[in-house]
Amino acid sequence: MRFRADRDTLLEALVTASRATASRSALTGAAPGLQLSLKGEHLEIVGSDPDLVIEARCKVAGESDGTVLVPTRLVTDIIRSFESGAVAVVGGDDEVRFSAGRAEFVVRVAAGAEITRLSTLETTGIDLPANTFADGLRQVVRAALVDDSRAPQLTAVQMQATEKGLRLVATDSYRLAFRDFEGMSALEEGSQVLVPAKALAEVQRLVGQAKDDDDEMIGFRHSDLDAVFDLDDVRITTRLVRGQFPDVDRLVPTSYAYRLKVQREDFASALRRVRLLVRDSKDVTTPVRLSFREGGVELQVLTPESGRAVEALEGEFSGEEIMIAFNPTYLLDGVEALRSDILVIEVNDPGKPALVRGEGEDEYRYLLMPVKVS
Amino acid sequence: MTVDQSALLDVLHVDMDCFFAAVEALDDPTLLGKPVIVGGAGPRGVVAACSYEARATGVHSAMPMGEARRRCPAAVIIAGRHSRYGEVSAELHDVFREFTPVIEPISLDEAFLDVSGSHRLFGTSEEIGHAIRSRVREVLGLDCSVGIGRTKLIAKLASREAKPRASKKGVLAGPGVVMVLAAEELEFLHPRPVRDLWGVGPKTAERLARYGVNTIGDLAALDPDALERLVGKAAGTHLHSLSWARDERPVESGLEVKSVGHEETFPTDRHDHKLLQPEVVRLADSVGARLRTAGLTGRTVNLKLRFADFSTITRAQSLNGPLLSSVEIARIATALLEAVDVGTGVRLLGVSVSSLEPLATAGGRQLSLMDLNDMAREPRAGAGSSSASKRPSEPARAEVEAAIDAIRTRYGARAVGPATVLDRGSGLRVKELGDGQWG
Repeated sequence: MRFRADRDTLLEALVTASRATASRSALTGAAPGLQLSLKGEHLEIVGSDPDLVIEARCKVAGESDGTVLVPTRLVTDIIRSFESGAVAVVGGDDEVRFSAGRAEFVVRVAAGAEITRLSTLETTGIDLPANTFADGLRQVVRAALVDDSRAPQLTAVQMQATEKGLRLVATDSYRLAFRDFEGMSALEEGSQVLVPAKALAEVQRLVGQAKDDDDEMIGFRHSDLDAVFDLDDVRITTRLVRGQFPDVDRLVPTSYAYRLKVQREDFASALRRVRLLVRDSKDVTTPVRLSFREGGVELQVLTPESGRAVEALEGEFSGEEIMIAFNPTYLLDGVEALRSDILVIEVNDPGKPALVRGEGEDEYRYLLMPVKVS
Repeated sequence: MTVDQSALLDVLHVDMDCFFAAVEALDDPTLLGKPVIVGGAGPRGVVAACSYEARATGVHSAMPMGEARRRCPAAVIIAGRHSRYGEVSAELHDVFREFTPVIEPISLDEAFLDVSGSHRLFGTSEEIGHAIRSRVREVLGLDCSVGIGRTKLIAKLASREAKPRASKKGVLAGPGVVMVLAAEELEFLHPRPVRDLWGVGPKTAERLARYGVNTIGDLAALDPDALERLVGKAAGTHLHSLSWARDERPVESGLEVKSVGHEETFPTDRHDHKLLQPEVVRLADSVGARLRTAGLTGRTVNLKLRFADFSTITRAQSLNGPLLSSVEIARIATALLEAVDVGTGVRLLGVSVSSLEPLATAGGRQLSLMDLNDMAREPRAGAGSSSASKRPSEPARAEVEAAIDAIRTRYGARAVGPATVLDRGSGLRVKELGDGQWG
């Protein structure tokens, strides 16, 4: 294998593919590798862990085709260290040579090693509008459970075909995010798949990086085991999560006794400010206490060690005063997910789920359990 | 050298003499001069305290009551009145406070005092020791012994030297106050058995004895590395320091309660989880009530089990936030119990809550929409929320328990309680402080 490539282009592809190998070493003890395959002008870089494969493609000046498996971290660091410009790569049986300017690296590689790949799906898929879908991912992925063996199904986002279209749902048991895409049909009606939030975060990241092109589409297809997301130069294949997603619809209250409306950006700024006093440790959640009162809301954080922070905001609220406390990070996650300028928080009881939503933004809902304070 | 050698001897250890028995004799003077034993009168009871007259026959605390009866048939056996001892103890602390604000209570009848700020008013440590003894005599009508030293360890061992002694001929008065000067510490400490050091239990003592280490002096002579290999790194360092009379722990007056708990010794061993579980609920119920009364909450539930062979285990589980209700304490303690094999028979059960913090400033507890543990157990059972809908939410329970506390305040502890604790015939068996403690 022999080719010349632009350093920036090559680095971007390497970094993208290497995001699938991050957890490999911890799992198997083996040093994670990236597979470089050259066919004509097309270089394909594949990173893989047991559940996720990322294939990144870029154009290079190819001289002879071939395949080689290189150590992820080392090779990425080498290419990054080069100045912008041309990089020459020559792959042999047991070593690969990288050179740029007068610098040259010869990296030992395992001969004949091959990367594990998930099954290739032959089904035809559907195209999703990239920006809309990625915006939904941004709103929902944040509520998924981060790596937890107790309930693996919650590390996934549920993609569900509803009467109206597609729905994404995620929950870590403390909060629950819904996003509806009206008229979007990615799945057969009535069916659902559990896609790891980790893979979807990559999809969202890659779309976000791309130039704002409203016409860009994401190809999506799935089998019982895998799902594939096709972007311009990148393909993400992920194992689906097995298991039953909880029946979350029943958790959503049908009505609320209290409703607060407030400028979303003002609320977010105030929350970020009072949050400065939060002491976060594994064991303790310092809550932010929201007091809904006539004409607005007061945010308060109290810690025995550090002190107290209070901020009052004007807003729409009428009725008797009610105090409810939340994990400030979870609350801010919900508020920041919204697009609407007006934030609506609806509450029934300081011990029952509250709804965070944007006015006029009916496609997204963020349900949050409070923190119980005495 | 004319430096006042008592200058730095600021730690006092005050220990009441035969406290429970002495309180009984105080309230019933006919007991004076008689052998009195306080403890569990049941078949499994143990001696909690005994008068010097009883000690002269060989009875000592923690001895099984049956054995004590055999040794001292003439003894008056009293079940003990925990609340009365608490009252006397409070008065005792009032006396201590006349001399210094820095008081670290160890138990009802024992405390460390730091008198470093009291010399101008009350004189030397030795004078303060004598003054405390006469004040306690005057206010409470009870005797105590005082040990004085540079550190807690020395003061505690010194108070033992100050005690009266029981002998066949009768009670021999002790010196009442014993002070160990800094220069005499090692001479005082080294001939003593290693068991006198904190942190040396029967197991450690046995292991040390196998290597010929019997006295604290033997231990001090050991190479610290060798000691660490014998007893472990942390314990090794700790014991080596203590054996050279280095004990940096200050007298801590924080009045800090480390845990709130209840224990119960059963009349007969229990071999079945089904028979133990209601007791867990009963203990948890009263632990929860005590926490609420004290305005405290905690994050760790501890379960203690003592088996028929007297081996004792503890199991603990910590939460990521404060416990919210007695029901929750009971649920966690029950889960801990279920993981233990009780086939050999359980004679004592204890439930306590630690990692305490004041309710008012406790960090909150993040509530859940669903129970992750339920989901893990039955991944295919569908909605993880099914259990949540069956059980009342934690805040709802907290409200229920506030109501229960209010009812109990008004109508007494036995007015209301968990159904598990209902006993046919005798009604509710609600755990109260002190009952069943000594069997």
